[in-house]
Amino acid sequence: MAYNKVVETIPLEKREELSDKLINNLLVSKNENKMPAGLANTILYHWQQGLLTGDAGLAAIIEASVLLEPDKTMEILEGKLQLMDTVKKVKEVSTKAGK
Amino acid sequence: MVRFGIEFVPREAYWKTIYYAIQAEKKGFNYLWITDHFNNRNVYVTLTAAAIYTNKITFGPGVTNPYLVNPVFTAQAIASLNEAAPDRVVLGIGAGDKTTLDSVGVEMRKPLTAVQESIEIIRGITSGKNVVFEGKVFRVTGAKFLFKPRGKIPIYVGAQGPKMLAMAGRIGDGVLINACHPKDINYAVDCVKKGVSEAGKELTDVDVAAYTSFSVHEDPKKATKAAVPVVSFIVAGSPRVVLERHGIELKAAEKIREALKANQWGQAFGSVSPEMIEAFSVCGTPDICIECITQLLKSGISQFVVGSPIGPKVREAINLIGEKIIPHFKP
Repeated sequence: MAYNKVVETIPLEKREELSDKLINNLLVSKNENKMPAGLANTILYHWQQGLLTGDAGLAAIIEASVLLEPDKTMEILEGKLQLMDTVKKVKEVSTKAGK
Repeated sequence: MVRFGIEFVPREAYWKTIYYAIQAEKKGFNYLWITDHFNNRNVYVTLTAAAIYTNKITFGPGVTNPYLVNPVFTAQAIASLNEAAPDRVVLGIGAGDKTTLDSVGVEMRKPLTAVQESIEIIRGITSGKNVVFEGKVFRVTGAKFLFKPRGKIPIYVGAQGPKMLAMAGRIGDGVLINACHPKDINYAVDCVKKGVSEAGKELTDVDVAAYTSFSVHEDPKKATKAAVPVVSFIVAGSPRVVLERHGIELKAAEKIREALKANQWGQAFGSVSPEMIEAFSVCGTPDICIECITQLLKSGISQFVVGSPIGPKVREAINLIGEKIIPHFKP
């Protein structure tokens, strides 16, 4: 649920590109054992429904990406997409989750 | 009109395989085949997830074998799957590969008979009958489901040798031919035709699938590089007659076989020649792949299966196939 707040910081026009980059990040990740099954199923459901750029779908992808590849996720957000507010929010959410 | 299938080896986490399965469905593939090897994720667990997260693609094991999985269990698994996704389930069954069976100490006894008997048992049980069967390999003393199975499940025979191919034509609903080159496919289709004719059927009664090693990328060098490891294993496992058909020196194949046995991957992959790539894979740019598929269609295949490695990057390759290759063959 916390990642829904992260999604609020992402402009609509950047969602598709972000979703695409993060999915690539997940599919090539070697840390697949860090993926919680419930989160994987949420992503698959939203992919099946064509909703991976929607609020819930994107929130699930970001959460998974942070869990599996935190550094690469930050690189994607900070790179060409320049989602600096999102970076701030992700750090806030993941720090809270870590406590 | 040719139908397109895609094969996945479930060696990665289930969610990756299922992500690609959903993508394949969205991109216009008709069939999804999941390999069955004990050292990867379980085929039926993967297929169950595919049943849940896909809507129209037809799917099944590609292929299981009757030595590691008793046909009674296979019947139960596919009948149960057919409840989860009615009329979308197919079964691919073959003799299995000797290396895998050797590694678990299971003998590949009478492969032709074993596959034929298995199909008879599976068809009987999945049609709701009480099966009593006394064969040369299998014996069933009375097996019947305690539930009512839903409909007929088409059975595809995974085949390479002439006798298995003919048997596939005779009793199969489909045949999965492990080959990529028109020379091999022509030979295989002739064998299938023989079986089809013995059974008094037409070739069009059987779905003839070329189950290929495939790699696509806009850069042909990248496509080829991705195909090399798979081709090395195919060369190492190919019988003499197949190697000779393609003019591949037996010594060269032996060198690869020895290197693979010794886990000397660099040596094995470095010994794969362009002739081997051409004989045992469909790879290159989308245009090159379209040309290869067009050639194979002339041999009489009705399904083209895109098998491992698919491409250097699977997600990108599925998109390329869905956007540039499949539309070329659809009206």
